[in-house]
Amino acid sequence: MPYLPTAQSYLEQSSLLLQAYPDARITTKYTFPPRPSPSTSTSTPTPTSTSKPQDATTTTTTTTTTTTSTADPTPSKPAVATLVLKTFDPRSGICLKYKTNKGAEVGRLITSLGKLAAGADVEGLGLGSSAVPTSGTADVEMGDAPALGAAGPAEGGDGAGSAGKGAGGKGKKKGGKGKR
Amino acid sequence: MPAHLGHDEFFTSLTTLLTTTSTKTRGSVYLTQKPLPPSTTTDSTTTTPSILIRATDGNTSAPNPKTHQGKTKSKAAVPKTKLSTVVNPDQLEAFYARYAEVCKAGMSGLKKRDRKKGKAKGKGGAAGGVAGGKVTKA
Repeated sequence: MPYLPTAQSYLEQSSLLLQAYPDARITTKYTFPPRPSPSTSTSTPTPTSTSKPQDATTTTTTTTTTTTSTADPTPSKPAVATLVLKTFDPRSGICLKYKTNKGAEVGRLITSLGKLAAGADVEGLGLGSSAVPTSGTADVEMGDAPALGAAGPAEGGDGAGSAGKGAGGKGKKKGGKGKR
Repeated sequence: MPAHLGHDEFFTSLTTLLTTTSTKTRGSVYLTQKPLPPSTTTDSTTTTPSILIRATDGNTSAPNPKTHQGKTKSKAAVPKTKLSTVVNPDQLEAFYARYAEVCKAGMSGLKKRDRKKGKAKGKGGAAGGVAGGKVTKA
């Protein structure tokens, strides 16, 4: 199964899967990529992120490459771990996956996994309005188009306003009026 | 499989497991969660079953058999790290709050981007005010 593009779509699909098949299990894999050359890994395991000063010392002492010494900060370090979330239901064989390497997402993802474990539905995840499907975005686009025209007729503005009401997009509507 | 750990022991062991993996920048940690079958749970009247949480290193902390083949036989016997615990439905929220903290702290090998984080946070906050309150608690 392919990876889902966003964490949100992964969580939404997972909640749907769990509702349909409550036996589905969620696996979170935190992994480092395999090293291409085992000789370096066995001799000196370089700590990536835990300590910046240690990194600095290692880069200065070792005479490996110039690129590492020039780019001292941690993100340029080769070993960036990845986090893969997988929801798998053995009965149906459905498998949902999401992959990330951003540390900022971890807390949010795990918290959402807890909600999934508690049997939360799509709304219960509290992920927000993108669960409101394409109609909402279409309305917003309609509202934006006359706003871009700036000197649009009043008729267009009214149409956009009503559409905004329908979608519950108050912010968008206000922004349009402010521009004028 | 050894007996299930208490939450405190589980978190302590998980912290060390994640930290060692992060410092070594090698290997993997697998975390799984799945509902226990209702028959084994103590209280079957609850709507949501207890959740079984497992953590393992998948024996990835053991040396690579290809490279270490003839070197030391004793190292081949490095046991796989396995942790497990059971979370009752009423403890779920508290457990996952700690779980998220432990994972955030332990998974230090991931990219750190403060700007992106703020951006994502703003987006999430704007989308769901209800969610915002829950997130801050966690």
